[in-house]
Amino acid sequence: MSSFATQFRHQLILVRRDPGPLLGYTLMPLLLIVVLKPMFDALGRGSGLGGAAQATSAMAVMFALFALKTVGAMLLDERTWRTWDRLRASPARAHTILLAKALPVFCVLVVQQAVLFSFTIAVYGLEPPSWGPLIGVVIAWSACILLLGTAAATLVRTPAQLSAAGDLFALATTIIGGALVPSYLLVSWLRAAGPVSPGYWGLRAYHAALSGGALARPLAMLGAFALAGVVATVAIARRKVA
Amino acid sequence: MIHAHSLTKRFGDRLALEGFELHVAAGEIAGLVGHNGAGKTTFARAVAGLVTLDDGTVTVAGIDVAADRRSARGQLGVAPQELALYPTATARENLELFAALHGLGRRQTRSAIGDVARALVLDEVLDGRVAQLSGGQQRRVQAATAMVHRPPVLLLDEPTVGADPVTREALLGAVRTAADDGAAVVYTTHYLPELDVLGATLAVADRGRVVARGERDELRAAADSETLDDLYRELVCAA
Repeated sequence: MSSFATQFRHQLILVRRDPGPLLGYTLMPLLLIVVLKPMFDALGRGSGLGGAAQATSAMAVMFALFALKTVGAMLLDERTWRTWDRLRASPARAHTILLAKALPVFCVLVVQQAVLFSFTIAVYGLEPPSWGPLIGVVIAWSACILLLGTAAATLVRTPAQLSAAGDLFALATTIIGGALVPSYLLVSWLRAAGPVSPGYWGLRAYHAALSGGALARPLAMLGAFALAGVVATVAIARRKVA
Repeated sequence: MIHAHSLTKRFGDRLALEGFELHVAAGEIAGLVGHNGAGKTTFARAVAGLVTLDDGTVTVAGIDVAADRRSARGQLGVAPQELALYPTATARENLELFAALHGLGRRQTRSAIGDVARALVLDEVLDGRVAQLSGGQQRRVQAATAMVHRPPVLLLDEPTVGADPVTREALLGAVRTAADDGAAVVYTTHYLPELDVLGATLAVADRGRVVARGERDELRAAADSETLDDLYRELVCAA
């Protein structure tokens, strides 16, 4: 087994040994969809999307944003366990170590959203016009969350800081992005602030994938947020090392 | 094997290393002692390429750490002062990871884990999660992760702190065996009698520099000290 494969497997073991938070963020949206389906049906009429599509998009965005905290925690663990310096003191390349840590977490995010969409497709008969765009958005949104989570883990110093900042960020971006309450129902100033939230573009991307709309702009914006996550991570890490 | 020449490292206003000089040959165990804050841990981090030096050079097995960090790290086994293991993984999973990071294949890893587990009396706890092991067992697992790939250079930063007698004996035995097999070892400790057990040479660090270096008996005689503790007090505490 190659060094990368062993590192990848090791990270999967760590994820498997502490599945609670991710399992919660995978099952809670299913429960919420069941409970809130009538409300989403009503809201869906106003947005031009069906209730099931509206509900699934909103939950996919909202709970991925909450999972961002868990992504950050997995990376922060390396610092609280003091294992990060031990990895750095090995001859393995830094990008290999990072990739082996990030890839399993990325897979978990993809699975979280795949479970959500599979559930709505099976139970509520959601029918995406085409699978390609939906899969593309799942991948882009997961990558965006992963890279923003990495930046958050680099920025904070303790799990408590991460938890508090993660909850605030998730709730704020969910609300501003229109995932909790559709944008057209928000007060005007909040509606105007929507585009600064990655959740807004995540939701736009899902709506486009589920309605056959144009995906280029939302995907480009998700790419920009992901890039911002990378730049922030590198800048913060450099400042801390110096 | 380790040549640290005139190392200087400043953290803000604090000078952690100031002309730190230490040379350790293959097969030698150099006992590095000194107060907390004397520069021992910063030295170990400099050898591992984890801090950027303001001045000075470190070579590991002939490789300049600043010029080729990755190759230099390939020659090292590092056990830091504080426990740094994956608590939710088993001892074996931790060892497999560190063996893989140093490029060991699956078969080599299996055999190396068997060897290091025997040496450090870990056979029966290999499949236990680190968080559920005793403090002494965790210490041994930590040392094992530094030794599993049989590195030519070992940096062990207070590996026996808080260890029970069984752990201490196992660790000291494994370190002595590694040196007998040709490894250069830097062994940081506050328990000076351990250096007699290891047959180590002595390096006394104080305020970021090595203030005494040589054979224990020679240094003891020069300072007219009967024990290592007396010598330490003579060299460091009186300063």
